[in-house]
Amino acid sequence: MENTTHFGFKDVATEDKQGLVRGVFDSVASKYDLMNDVLSFGAHRLWKRYTVASSNVKTGDKVLDIAGGTGDLAIEFRKKAGESGKVILSDINAAMLAEGRRNLTNKGVFGVEFIQLNAENLPFESNSFDCVSIAFGLRNVTDKDQALREMHRILKPGGCLLVLEFSKTDNELLSQAYDFYSFNIMPKLGGIIADDEESYQYLAESIRQHPDQETLKNMVLDAGFSFCEYHNLTGGIVALHKGIKA
Amino acid sequence: MQHFVLEQALNYLIDQGDADIGSLNGKTIYFALDDLPLTLNFICTNNRIFVTTDTSSNADVDIKLKSNVFLSLLQGEEISDLLKQDKIIIHGDVKTAQLLVDLLKSAQIDFEEILSQYTGDVIANQIGNIARNLKGSSNTLNSPIEAIKDGLTSLLISPSKSKLYKNKNT
Repeated sequence: MENTTHFGFKDVATEDKQGLVRGVFDSVASKYDLMNDVLSFGAHRLWKRYTVASSNVKTGDKVLDIAGGTGDLAIEFRKKAGESGKVILSDINAAMLAEGRRNLTNKGVFGVEFIQLNAENLPFESNSFDCVSIAFGLRNVTDKDQALREMHRILKPGGCLLVLEFSKTDNELLSQAYDFYSFNIMPKLGGIIADDEESYQYLAESIRQHPDQETLKNMVLDAGFSFCEYHNLTGGIVALHKGIKA
Repeated sequence: MQHFVLEQALNYLIDQGDADIGSLNGKTIYFALDDLPLTLNFICTNNRIFVTTDTSSNADVDIKLKSNVFLSLLQGEEISDLLKQDKIIIHGDVKTAQLLVDLLKSAQIDFEEILSQYTGDVIANQIGNIARNLKGSSNTLNSPIEAIKDGLTSLLISPSKSKLYKNKNT
């Protein structure tokens, strides 16, 4: 098969991946937050909090959260950027964006803009954002390099990119336990709670297919960022990559 | 992770209006402590400071010094005096280096606490050195643990008689 890409452990036609990922998130959107809390034992909230704390976002800043889903990061960014700032919550998936809008409204967070977009083709002017974030979204993007180049393009000089994503742990014991949990327990929980075992099987597979810390760091630098470092969280199960555009 | 604390503290100062980094804007300053595994880049841009361990890109100014010199600098020692005594090496604009030092001073961070996070490795390394030195030179000691204990004891009680001390000075 020509022009193929990964969809979990399967090879699929590049042009098909976006639709397949959309199917996964259409299916899990309504239970997304609940599932994240259950599957990560609540740790995803700490990972996201650390991400926003690392952003150096200030009052008046313009922030884009890509694949923002139910809006956890956007809510925190909104607090930091304040009334004079601008926070955009974006997602390629309409169902996830609708969940995000509902979640923010329920939490009394207003002033955040919602835009449905593809990370590979960002509809914004160059040099226009102080911070761009993508949490647990990059691994679902078909052309990650193109997406990173786009994020670099729209950031101002001095702007900061934050990529929070599942990664690789180098602790053998933790790795084995995590593998068992991912492939045996996570899909079952997905089946029980979200009535969708298959989507959570994809989640486990897509994590294994995602580039490791060093590879992603080099991808960020290749996209044009002058600096990039990463911090392993929870033993490297998750990593936060921080890129800075000079 | 310590540089994260540093970054937060510096940006808090800037946010509160207690520090103006206008003169540092656009500058990247490389900072290294020779005696500790600590190298950082301070990237001053977009009216904020990023503190990163990624030091692969060229900086505008390089600052290299030992940790005790750094602490004395924060306690009021002048850069110019330290330069004369060759206790600090600065490549690039000294004024920029001075601005960064002033900023670090005003942050009122407990740097001794931060640096102590790094000395753990150094102490571990020294213990390793003692073990290696004794392993190679002493046949009277029964185990590596005893060798470490004896080596540390002699280093603490009578440094001049310590094998580690002697090795450092030969």
